[in-house]
Amino acid sequence: MSTPQYVAPESLEDALRIKSESGADARLVAGGTDLILRMRDRVFTPKLLLDLRRVPLTAISCTAGEMRIGSYATLSQILAHDEIANLFPALVEACRPFAGPPIRNRATIGGNIVNASPAADLVPPLMAYDANIVLSSISGDRELPLAEFFTGPGQTVIEPDEILTEVRLPLMPPDSAASFIKLGQRRSMAISIVNLCTRLSLAADGTVATARIVLGAVAPTPLRAVAAEAVLAGNDITTALLDEAAQQASRESMPISDVRASGSYRKRMTAVLVRRALSAAWGELGRNNSNG
Amino acid sequence: MSESNVVGQWVPATGAGDIVTGAARYCPDIDLPGLLTGKLLYSPHARARIRKLDVSAARQIPGVFAVLTQADIPGENNYLYSQADQPLLAIDEVRFQGDAVAAVAALDEATADAALRAIQVEYEVLDGIFDPLVAMKAGADQLVEGEDNIIMNQVYRTGEVEAALASADVIVENTYRTQWAEHAFLETEGGVALVDEEGVVTVYSSCQAPHRDRMQIARTLAMPESMVRVITPYIGGAFGGKDEAHVQMHAALLAVAAGRPVRLIRGRRESILTHVKRHPIIIHCITAATREGRLLAVKARAIADAGPYHNATHEVMNKFGEFIGGPYSVQNLEVETIAVRTNNPIGGAFRGFGAPQAAFVYESQMDDLARKLEIDPLELRLLNGVETGTKMYTGVVVREGQAMKASLRKAAEKIGWEKRDQCERQPAPHLRRGWGMATILKGSGMGRGLGDHAGVVLEMHRDGSVVLLSGAADMGQGIITILAQMAADRLGVPMSSVRAVRADTSRTPDAGSSCASRQCMVSGNAVLAAANSIRDSLLSVAAGKTKISRDRLDLRDGRLQVDSEPHALTIEELARRALFWGYPLHAESKYHFEYPADVPAGDYRFSQEVFQFCTQIAQVLVDVETGQVTVERLIAVHDAGKMINPGGVYGQIEGGCAQGIGYALTEELIVNEGRTLNPSLENYVIPMALDIPEMEMDVLEIPEPVGAPLGAKGIAESPIIPTAPAIRNAILDAIGKPLYQLPMSAERVLTALDG
Amino acid sequence: MADRDIQMNVNGLALKVNSGPGRTLLSALREDLGLIGAKDGCSQGDCGACVVLLDGQAVNSCMVLAPQAQGRDILTVEGLAENGVLHPLQRAFGETWAFQCGFCTPGMLMSCYALLSSNDEPSREEILTAISGNFCRCTGYQAVVKAVQQAAAEIRASSSGDGEQGRAPA
Ligand SMILES: Cc1cc2nc3c(=O)[nH]c(=O)nc-3n(C[C@H](O)[C@H](O)[C@H](O)COP(=O)(O)OP(=O)(O)OC[C@H]3O[C@@H](n4cnc5c(N)ncnc54)[C@H](O)[C@@H]3O)c2cc1C
Ligand code: FES
Ligand code: FES
Repeated sequence: MSTPQYVAPESLEDALRIKSESGADARLVAGGTDLILRMRDRVFTPKLLLDLRRVPLTAISCTAGEMRIGSYATLSQILAHDEIANLFPALVEACRPFAGPPIRNRATIGGNIVNASPAADLVPPLMAYDANIVLSSISGDRELPLAEFFTGPGQTVIEPDEILTEVRLPLMPPDSAASFIKLGQRRSMAISIVNLCTRLSLAADGTVATARIVLGAVAPTPLRAVAAEAVLAGNDITTALLDEAAQQASRESMPISDVRASGSYRKRMTAVLVRRALSAAWGELGRNNSNG
Repeated sequence: MSESNVVGQWVPATGAGDIVTGAARYCPDIDLPGLLTGKLLYSPHARARIRKLDVSAARQIPGVFAVLTQADIPGENNYLYSQADQPLLAIDEVRFQGDAVAAVAALDEATADAALRAIQVEYEVLDGIFDPLVAMKAGADQLVEGEDNIIMNQVYRTGEVEAALASADVIVENTYRTQWAEHAFLETEGGVALVDEEGVVTVYSSCQAPHRDRMQIARTLAMPESMVRVITPYIGGAFGGKDEAHVQMHAALLAVAAGRPVRLIRGRRESILTHVKRHPIIIHCITAATREGRLLAVKARAIADAGPYHNATHEVMNKFGEFIGGPYSVQNLEVETIAVRTNNPIGGAFRGFGAPQAAFVYESQMDDLARKLEIDPLELRLLNGVETGTKMYTGVVVREGQAMKASLRKAAEKIGWEKRDQCERQPAPHLRRGWGMATILKGSGMGRGLGDHAGVVLEMHRDGSVVLLSGAADMGQGIITILAQMAADRLGVPMSSVRAVRADTSRTPDAGSSCASRQCMVSGNAVLAAANSIRDSLLSVAAGKTKISRDRLDLRDGRLQVDSEPHALTIEELARRALFWGYPLHAESKYHFEYPADVPAGDYRFSQEVFQFCTQIAQVLVDVETGQVTVERLIAVHDAGKMINPGGVYGQIEGGCAQGIGYALTEELIVNEGRTLNPSLENYVIPMALDIPEMEMDVLEIPEPVGAPLGAKGIAESPIIPTAPAIRNAILDAIGKPLYQLPMSAERVLTALDG
Repeated sequence: MADRDIQMNVNGLALKVNSGPGRTLLSALREDLGLIGAKDGCSQGDCGACVVLLDGQAVNSCMVLAPQAQGRDILTVEGLAENGVLHPLQRAFGETWAFQCGFCTPGMLMSCYALLSSNDEPSREEILTAISGNFCRCTGYQAVVKAVQQAAAEIRASSSGDGEQGRAPA
């Protein structure tokens, strides 16, 4: 492993200043669960490690119509957060089978996003909930949809002087339900073969106002299956329609083969699991309606 | 049961106190003044000629104390498990990705890494040999020039196979494929070497066979064995993968060259890339039976990928051939076992030595046969199972075979085999439930014709405390605990009075390797003999002192017992008196496992003759859309003879089943042109806590009449053997489609469903 | 900032290690402090043999950079027993054969200890989840469940009793 300097500044301002001075030479370290391996493999050889653990970036709060999650919030924090469980249950579902407890105690939401693995488990639910992210630099903040963040495996639009500070989730309209599914080779400690999240938000007339189908591990970046979403939008839900959307999502996927699974298996699973996730979301909407 | 009666008790493992406090020292924990870090440089190629090897730059790096190549080895440059064909440091060619070309010792890890990077090797990459089916053809490119790629081709024949096949009512014929499987002992291979003040090369070794390691180290160093000492510290698992030596010789060479102690520990990736694997075998098998389901004949041909070196291939394939008929009375059997050299990973010893692959075949065949005949799988097995007195296809007569059918019946009862159809078979539209069983036998001991002996030294002191010296390596299976229990039992002292020393060749007598489920039997018998002779001294003293005849006396609970009642005389007093009067309280014994003189008919050479029988039944849930299999229940009924320590026995069963589930469903080393693509615990997928069902275990205690101390026989290997076929048969029951390849990954299950 | 001096509170003792930032907490504990209880089974977060508690939470110490532990509380397996008296978990692990080779045990104990500190009556499922990042090749985890439940019962009994703390002589 290379031996960079390590600093843990006391304030975000200090961090942003260091970042603006050192740019790509300074790399953020959060939980380190991706970074340390990259450094060991010499993929990254930063001169400076910037740890923001002293900066208050771990807060989770619900204000002004949105949920704000600090980029240093750990998976365990999210998993234990009642309000997130209430409002964004699919995000919590994605945390549950994520690695194991010791990794979840370290791994952060920001690291999962910026690491930009195509298989990152938190990204599909975040994108399905239309999450925005806040990128901060010494010259100010910019907020952009998470869906616009990724450009390739490990590649994003973050600038060398920027830090991901917050993830913002708009509150869902009533009659919304989302469902996350992870297919892995075991129940813990598994990198996803396919992970995906679907969300349905219904209009007052019961038709689909918004559909989100976000696929992981089947493309160079987490992928919104927009054509499949379009199959659903504006329509009354039927089993056949869900099937059609699922098939369309599978067509939109472009998976590769690796040691975990073949591309053709991934493609096939995309159809199976999108249909399951949509059915689960639909089922939940039915339950909510009949209860309410 | 009274306190001192330690046999059969859940006594905590010897060393448990050190383990739970973190004080137990394994090889990576051994620190010594001046300790250097050792590292090996491996070939990046599966097959290449070494054109140039230049270590001069590495030697110049400050902090580098030794850089060795094959030219620097004073003695024999090879491992010696069976044949001396694997070099410690490559000579002019590398034959797989695990061949080392140079060894370094440096002040710390970073410096050692720098030294490795500074070594210049020029390779001429050669076309590798990767497909055993191609490599075995006449005229194929030879891995070793002038030598056939086929390193083993053995046919065992019993009875009239062709005639039996011709007369059969039904035939089941299939081709099976198994995978490379990885031991993944949590502590990777390691050795720490130093030269002590007397010039003795001392090596702490994470191993299964300390005395064989000593021999290997001595011949590599060209030193007498008397100048080499091997000590086993705590060992973090082995499962056969540390039967052959690994880095001990390299560590010793480096320590001698550097003049400083050297610790050489393989990293996880390096470990997976270098050590032996369970052989992948392609098996074609024909099973013939009568309409009623009586087995008439089995004919099999097995082709194993041996990798480039012999290692334990012969031993593994011998066992494969010995067990391919299963625990059944088959009188006509022919098995051809072929092993072929390739530039893939080396095949070697792994819990069960070929028996798991054989069981996957014969137990799958049984269920396919049952389906064809529309006979219940349990009935079919009961119909054909061996019993006490059955003469097996190996010619061996089963001395104690009740457990074969008893384990089947018990397991069936536990899972509710008869009532299984009352359970929901399709709990959801995409889910199918099924049940499958497998029953197996596995021998304990090295096998007929192979030396199978162990020595032990036992000494009681004047205070009644006891030291037990055994060279049996304890890799976690608990052998020294069991030996100490046997000694305590015979001598009437509590466990806390017996100190069992971990194997150290300078103190403990040779017990051979801890493999083949043999130590409980062989070393166990040695302990009983030694303990009995000390017991004899104590009882002689007691008889003299009390004037009570010997046959009324016994030792337990730290006291003399007269007619099973405690007497005032303590063991401590007896020991003091015995030593005062010169009775020996020191005993050394050597036990040699004797096979009965009657030579079994047939051409089997290394037959084992004490059998572990067991039955496992799996209940699975198959997701027919994803192909994923969940093992919902696993029943395991095993025969241990007599349980010396139930904790150890249940532990072995539970752990073996967990390994079996992995072998069945997810574990597979993915090798492409000699390169392992998943050398990590991330991608070599072993079940974790949430993936394993609650195992329902039962142990039958049917004492073994011959050779088994206190009736106890080994247990170590059998638990992993039936799991994969039981799961396979359960999947077949669930989805109606048979699988013939391990592991039964989700994708393969889906392919079977499509077929 | 003194770049290389890292102060941490290990098993209740304030200790200083002098360590480059490329070092992990695991190597600082093992090499600098001689605390060899935590093991290295993979060096990359996959096996849990290196689990220690960092401010009360189970973490893979091979995946924590030493300076990230600056000023924080570390508990390792060596810190479980008090004054030579074993923690009920430690005793239960021995009694139930919750290990064979024991190489996973220090990490396993720490994961279980973390669980028990927030849940004194864990279910089988909760225990399995708590150890779902701890690999054990020798057992099937069943005995670990048994050990944790035995220890939990003992801790509950002693805390409802006369404040004996559930410890017994080693
Ligand atoms: C054993 C193991 C199991 C795993 N299992 C899973 C799994 O099941 N699912 C899954 O999705 N992932 C898994 N991962 C990957 C990893 O744990 C996650 O991606 C995790 O969320 C990364 O977070 P971190 O805080 O550890 O990131 P770090 O490693 O600290 O950082 C990752 C990258 O993001 C950058 N970065 C971090 N925070 C910021 C920020 N605020 N602003 C800008 N850049 C930043 C870093 O510079 C680095 O390049 C696993 C990893 C391991 C080792
Ligand atoms: S050594 Fe840290 S998880 Fe394996
Ligand atoms: S006891 Fe050996 S790895 Fe757990």
